[in-house]
Amino acid sequence: MGKKEQEEEGEAISINQLMESVDSNSDDPELHFQLGLRLWESGGDSKGTREKAAEHFLTSAKLNPNNAASFKYLGYYYSGVSGADTQRAIKCFQRAVVLCPDDEESGEALCDLLDEGGKETLEVATCRDASEKSARAFWAFRRLGYLQLNQKSWPEAVQSLQHGIRGYPACADLWEALGLAYQQMGMYTAAIKSYGRAIELDETKAFSRIESGNILLLLGSFRKGIEQFRKALEILPENLAAQYGLASGLLGLSKECVNTGAFAWSASLLEEASKIAISSAHLAGNASSLWKLHGDIQIMYAKCFPWLAGEEGLSDREAFESSIISWNETRDLAAKSARKSYQKALHLSPWQANIYSDIAFCSNVIAECCKSSPHDFNSWQLSEKMALGALLLESDNSEFWVALGCVSDHKAFKQHCFIRALQLDVAQAVAWAYLGKLFREVDEKLLARQAFDSARSIDPSLSLPWSGMSADFNPGMDSPDEAFENCLRAVQTLPLPEFQLGLAKIALLSRHSSSSLVYGAIRQAVQRAPYFPESHNLLGLILEARHDYISAAASYRVARYALHKYSGSKKTDFIHEVSINLARSLCKAGSTADAVQECEELNSQGVLDAECMQIYALSLWRLGRNQLSISVIRNLATSISSMDQISAAVIAGFICRLLYYLSGLDATINSIEKMPKELFESPTVSFIISAIHVLDEKDRLNHIVSASRHFLTTHELRMEMHLLISLGKVIKNGSASSLGYQSGVHHLRKALHMFPNSDMLRDLLGYLLLFRKEQNDFHLATRCCVTKLSNLSNGGLKSAFEVVGAGAVSCYAVGSSIPKFTFPTCSNQCLNEPQAVMQLQKSMHQEPWNFDLKFLLVLNLLQKAREERYPLLLCGVLKRLCSVALSNEKYERTGLTLQLKKLQLLLCASEACLQEGNLPECINIAKKACKLLVPDGYLFFAHLLLSRAYAVGCDMRNSQKEYERCLELGTDLHIGWISLKLMESRNLVAPDSNTIGLRFEECLEEEGNLRTMWTAVFNFIQGLMSLCQLDFQSSLDFLTLAGSLVDSDSCIFLCQGVACMELAKAGYGSEHLSAAIRSLVKAQEHSLVPLPIISTLLAQAEGSLGFKEKWVRSLQCEWFTWPPEMRPAELFFQIHLLARQPTANQDSMLSVETHTSPLKWVCRAIHTDPTPFRYWRILRTLEQAN
Amino acid sequence: MKLSNLKTVESAHDDSIWAAAWVPPTDSRPPLLLTGSLDETVRLWRPDDLHLDRTNTGHCLGVVSVAAHPSGAIAASASLDSFVRVFYVDTNSTVATLEAPPSEVWQMQFDPKGTTLAVAGGGSASVKLWDTATWQVITTLSIPRPETPKPSDKGNKKFVLSVAWSPDGRRIACGSMDGTVSIFDVARAKFLHHLEGHFMPVRSLVYSPVEPRLLFTASDDAHVHMYDAEGKALIGALTGHGSWVLSVDISPDGAALATGSSDRTVMLWDLSMRASVQTMKNHSDQVWAVAFRPPGGNLRGGRLASVSDDKSISLYDYS
Repeated sequence: MGKKEQEEEGEAISINQLMESVDSNSDDPELHFQLGLRLWESGGDSKGTREKAAEHFLTSAKLNPNNAASFKYLGYYYSGVSGADTQRAIKCFQRAVVLCPDDEESGEALCDLLDEGGKETLEVATCRDASEKSARAFWAFRRLGYLQLNQKSWPEAVQSLQHGIRGYPACADLWEALGLAYQQMGMYTAAIKSYGRAIELDETKAFSRIESGNILLLLGSFRKGIEQFRKALEILPENLAAQYGLASGLLGLSKECVNTGAFAWSASLLEEASKIAISSAHLAGNASSLWKLHGDIQIMYAKCFPWLAGEEGLSDREAFESSIISWNETRDLAAKSARKSYQKALHLSPWQANIYSDIAFCSNVIAECCKSSPHDFNSWQLSEKMALGALLLESDNSEFWVALGCVSDHKAFKQHCFIRALQLDVAQAVAWAYLGKLFREVDEKLLARQAFDSARSIDPSLSLPWSGMSADFNPGMDSPDEAFENCLRAVQTLPLPEFQLGLAKIALLSRHSSSSLVYGAIRQAVQRAPYFPESHNLLGLILEARHDYISAAASYRVARYALHKYSGSKKTDFIHEVSINLARSLCKAGSTADAVQECEELNSQGVLDAECMQIYALSLWRLGRNQLSISVIRNLATSISSMDQISAAVIAGFICRLLYYLSGLDATINSIEKMPKELFESPTVSFIISAIHVLDEKDRLNHIVSASRHFLTTHELRMEMHLLISLGKVIKNGSASSLGYQSGVHHLRKALHMFPNSDMLRDLLGYLLLFRKEQNDFHLATRCCVTKLSNLSNGGLKSAFEVVGAGAVSCYAVGSSIPKFTFPTCSNQCLNEPQAVMQLQKSMHQEPWNFDLKFLLVLNLLQKAREERYPLLLCGVLKRLCSVALSNEKYERTGLTLQLKKLQLLLCASEACLQEGNLPECINIAKKACKLLVPDGYLFFAHLLLSRAYAVGCDMRNSQKEYERCLELGTDLHIGWISLKLMESRNLVAPDSNTIGLRFEECLEEEGNLRTMWTAVFNFIQGLMSLCQLDFQSSLDFLTLAGSLVDSDSCIFLCQGVACMELAKAGYGSEHLSAAIRSLVKAQEHSLVPLPIISTLLAQAEGSLGFKEKWVRSLQCEWFTWPPEMRPAELFFQIHLLARQPTANQDSMLSVETHTSPLKWVCRAIHTDPTPFRYWRILRTLEQAN
Repeated sequence: MKLSNLKTVESAHDDSIWAAAWVPPTDSRPPLLLTGSLDETVRLWRPDDLHLDRTNTGHCLGVVSVAAHPSGAIAASASLDSFVRVFYVDTNSTVATLEAPPSEVWQMQFDPKGTTLAVAGGGSASVKLWDTATWQVITTLSIPRPETPKPSDKGNKKFVLSVAWSPDGRRIACGSMDGTVSIFDVARAKFLHHLEGHFMPVRSLVYSPVEPRLLFTASDDAHVHMYDAEGKALIGALTGHGSWVLSVDISPDGAALATGSSDRTVMLWDLSMRASVQTMKNHSDQVWAVAFRPPGGNLRGGRLASVSDDKSISLYDYS
C-alpha cells in the first residue's frame, strides 16, 4: 500500500469524523468551516466536492458572519468554480477584506478581479481602505503603489511603495518601481540606490540597469553608466534603449577624454560607439534619435581623430603628405557619414530644428577638410542654408542665431547674427565670446575686450574669452605670466589647437617653455592641426627648450614639409626662420654635418644672420674646417658694430671662445686686445676673458680682466668668479710637478669668508684640501663640505659627497670609536667618518646611476670593514658591490682614471676574499688586477696583495717572487713600502737588508711635517718588527728614534715601554724600568681613550720598583680601561691580587677589588679562562686558607 | 575628500625610511604596514596605533623597496646590494632569496593575481619578472636602446627606477632616469611604446584601479603626469609640489591621488577637479613613500601611510 493511498484513506476517515460531528452540532460555524476546508483541499478540481465545500462555507458564513476566511473561499468558489460569477465573487472578497484587511490572498484576488473588470477607481479605493484600516496590509500598499505609479502620482507612489517594501523587502519589482518613482521626481541618488537594490535582489532586472544607466549618464558618471548598459545588454542583447544608452555613454566618455586631450583614446571609444549605434539604427531603422546619435558620434570622431604619424618620425616629404592626406580622408569620411546620419534623422523627423543646425555644422567641418576654394559671398553656402532652416522653424532660438553666425563667412552678417542672438537672450555667453572674436578680427580691440569681459562674467567656464584675453597680450607692455595663465585656463577647459599654439607662443616669451603643461598642449595641437606649419615649428621650439634636440630637428623638418605644401603668401620668411631653427637644433644635437649643410643653403640664399653665422662657425669648427670657420667669424665680427649692446656682447664672447679653440691662446689674446672695450661690459664675456686669462702665463690681459670684473653685479656671479680665480691661482702658482694648491686654498678661504653660504666654494675648498696631503686636511675637507641630499650635483667641479667620501677614506688611521673592535688612533677625530657610509648610501639611493658614488661606497665600506676586523658579512657585501661596480661597461674603456678605479675595485674584492679565507679567489682577482694597464707604482699594490695571499697560503716561493716583483716595480707611495717592509716579518728576504729603507727615503718629500711623520712611521714599523723578533735593543733604538720625531703618538710610547720592560726583564738594569714607566705614562697621556694593558704594564714596572701604592692605583685604572664584555681572565686574576692586599683608606669609587672576595675573583678568572695552571693553584691555596 | 592625522611614530627606524607597503589582511590578522629603511631592517606595524609587530633583519645595506603579495601571506624586500628577500609575513621565515645578476634591484610589485613579481632592474634597463611559484626569472622586459645614441648621453640614461602593473595585469609600466615611461605587453613580453613628457627621473608610478588605461607618474621635475597609457597621450599634469615628487599612490576608489615629495609634504589631489585639496606637513624631511591601504577585510575607512627621511611614519584617515 502506497503512502499516498494511506494518506487519502486517513483524509477520508477524518472527513467522515468531521461530517459526523457537524451532523451532531449543526450550529457550530467553526466545524462547518473546518469541514468545508477539508473538502476544498481534498477535492482538487472536482466540481462536486467544491460545491459541497461551498455549501459548508456558506453555512459557516451565515452562522458566523465575521469569519473572513469563509468569505474568501466563497470568493474563490464564485470566481472559479461556479461558472465565474464575478459580481458575487467580488462581494465575497470585499467582505473578506473588510473583515480582515491584512489578508493578502483575498485582497490580491479582489484586485485582480477588479483589474479584469477595468474598475481602477474601485481598485484604488479598496486598496486605500485596506491600507488605512491596517498598517500591516502590505499587499494593499504594494498594489496602491503600482496603481499610483500608473497614474503618475509619483510622491504618493513613493510613500505607498516604501510602506509596501516593509512587508516585502525582498521583492525586486517593488524596489524597481520605487526607483522609477524617485527618478521621475528627480531624486537621482535615491533612484540609483533603489535600482541597485532591485538588481541585487534579481540580477536579470534589465529595466533597472538601463534606467540607472540613464541616470548615471545624466549625472556625468559615464564609466558606471556604461557598465550598467553592458550588463543590461548581456540580459537583453537586442534592447534598443540599452544600446542607445551604451552608445551615448561612450560618446560622453569620449568627450571627457577629448577635453583632457586623450584623442586616440577618445577615437577608440567612438569607434566602438559608432558600431553599436549603427547596429541599433539598423535594428530600428525608423528611430530618428538613433541616427542623430550616430551623427553625433561620427562628427565627434571627425573632430577628435588625431594625426599620429608624427610620433614615429617621418622620413621625407612624401610620407608626411600622404599621412596628412590619409588623416584628412578619415576625418572627411567620418564627417560625411555624420551628415548622412543627420539627414536620415531629419528625414524621419523633419520638425526637429536642431538637426538642421547639426547638418549645418557638419557641412562646415567637411568644407574645412576639403579646403574648398573661396566662394562667392552673394550665394548662400550649404551650411548657412541649413542653419537658416533651423531658424525658419524656431526663429526665436538664440542658439540657432549663434550657429548661423559661426558657420557664416560674411563678417557683417556674422555680427548681425550674434547681436540678434544677444537681443533674444542677453545672457548668451557664447554669443558674446564669438562677438569678441569677431571684433578682434576687425581690430576693434576695445569692443572685443568688452565683449570678452561680459562673456567671462556670465560663464567663466567658457574657454574662448580666456584665450581672447591672452591673445590681446602685448609683449613688453603686459606681464606675460598673466597672459600665460589666461591661455592655460582656456587650454585646460577646451584643448583646441588654436589655443594650444597660442599657449606655446606665450610660453616661449615667458619662462614657462619647459613646463609639462605646454609640452602636452603642443603635442596635442600637432595631433589635431598637422597641416599647420606653425604647430610643428612651435613643437620644435618647445622640444628644444626641453633639451630634446633630435626630436626638435625632426619637428622643424616636418614644419618645412608643411610649409611647402600648405602655406600661402608669406612663405619664404617663415621658411628661413624654420631653417635657422633646424640648423640650431641640429648643431645642438651633434649632427654637425647636417647643420653645416643647412647653413650653407641659407648662405646661398643670402639670408645668413648673426645667429645663423654663429651656428655655422661652430659647426664648421666641429667638423675641423677651421679656415672656413675663421672666415665666418670675421664676417660675424664685422657685423658686431651694427648690433645693440647685449647681443654684441654675446657674440663677442662667442668669438673669443671659438677663436681660442681655433687658433690657440696667443691669437685669441691678440684679438681680445684689439676689440673695443665696451664689449667686455657683460658678465658672460667677463667670465670668458677671465678663463682665458687664467691660462695665459704672461698675464697680458690683466687690465682688461680687472676692468670687466666691475660688471659682475650679483652675488652669484661674483662667487663664481672667485671660484675661477682660485682655480687660476692653483694653475699659475704651481711648480712643474705639482699645482699650487696652497694658494688656491688660501684664496678660497678668503672667498668663503665673503660668501659663507656658497656650497660650490665649500666643495672646491674641500677638493683642493684633499690634494694637499697634509694629515689634517682630510678632516678639514670633510668638515668644510655641506652634504645636502637635494644638491647632489651642484654644477661645481666635485660634489660634496665625493669630497666627503674621499676624505673619509684618505686617513690611514682608525677613526672608529667602538671599543669592541679597536681604539681610535687618529687625533683628528674625523667628523663625518662614521656616517660617511650612511651618507653615501643615502646619495646612492637618490642617484643609483652614479658610478663615482658606488666606487666611493665600496672604498668606505672597506675602511669600515678594516676597522671592524673584516666581519664575514661585510666582506660578502664588499665582494658583491665590487662585482656590481665592475660589471659596468664603463670600466671596459681605457683611460687612466677609470683603469685606476678598476684596479682599486679589484684590490678591494681581492682583499675581501683574502680576509674571508678564500685564497684561490683572492689570488685569481689579484692576478687580474696585475694585468691592468696602469703605472708601475700602482701595479705594485696588486703584486703586494698577491705576495700576502701566497704567504698566507704558505706558498713561500711564489710569495718571494711577488715580493721581488714589487721591489722591481717600486712605488712613490709611502704606505706601499711600509706594507712591503711588514712582509719581511713573513721571512721574505730582500736582496739587501736596507733596500726598502732606501727606496722609502726616495719617495719622501723634501721637507715639512709629512716627511717627519712618515719617517717616524717607518721607524716605528721597524721597531715593531724587531720587537716581534725579540730583538729588544734594536727595537728600542728604532722606537726612540720614532718617538723623537713624533712626540704625541701613544702607540710608539706603548711599544717603547714594552721594549724597555723586556730589556729590564732580560736583566739589562733597572734604569730600563724607569724608562718604561716614563714611556708608558706618556702613552697614557697621549691616548685619546684610556687604553687597556698600559696600566697593567705600568703597574708591573712600578711594582718591580717597589712603589706599592702606585702599583695599586695603576691596576685599579686597568679595570676601567676594558669594556665589560672583553675583560680577560688575567685581569680578574690581577684584581684578586689587589683584593688580597690589606685595605687602606682608598677611594671606594676606584677600588673594584673590594666588591667581592679574592676567592671569587680567582673563580671569575678561571671561569673566563680555565687553562692556566697557576689560577688553580691559587684557588687551592685560597680554599685552604678559608 | 580629506586626510586627517591619526598617528605619527617618530624614530620608527634608526635611519631614513625609504619604502612602505601595505600587507593585505588575512583571515587571522588585520592589514599590516611594511616599511624598509636605511638602517637595514624591515619593520611590520599594526594599525591604527602603529604598534611595532616585528623587526626583520638580514639585509646588508639600506632597504630600497618592499612589496606585499595580494594574498597577504608573503612579502618581499630589496636592498641596495641587489638581494631580494621573500618571506612569510607571519613567521618571517624566508621563502626565497633572489639574487639579481649584477645589475641592481629597485622598485618591486606583485601582479594583481600574485603569480608574478616584477622588479625594476635599475642599470640593466629592463624589468625582470619572477615566477612566484618557482622563484625563477620568467622573462626580462628590456627597454630598446635608441638606434643612434645621442652624443650628449652620459652614463646609463635608461636606468629603471620604478614599475607598476595595470589593474588587469596585462600591462607593465616602468619609469626611467631620463624621464621616459615605457609600457610593456606582459602576455607577449613585448615593448609597446614610450610615454614622454618628463625630463627628470620618474621614481614612482601607479595605474588607476578603476580604469586600466590611466597611468599616473611622479617625477623629479616636480610634476605628476596623467597619461592615457594605451593612446600614448599626456592628458594631464598636476603641479603644486615645490621639489621632486618621489612617490605617488592612488586611493582604492580611484578618486584621489596622494603624493610625497622632497619638499617634505604629502599632498592629496582630487582627480575630478585635478587640483590639490590638502597639503600635510607632518614630516621634517623628504617623503619617500606614500601608500593607501588596499580594500578588503571588514575594515571601514581609508588609510594612508607616509614615510620619510626624518625616520618617522605617519598614518592618516582618508575619507
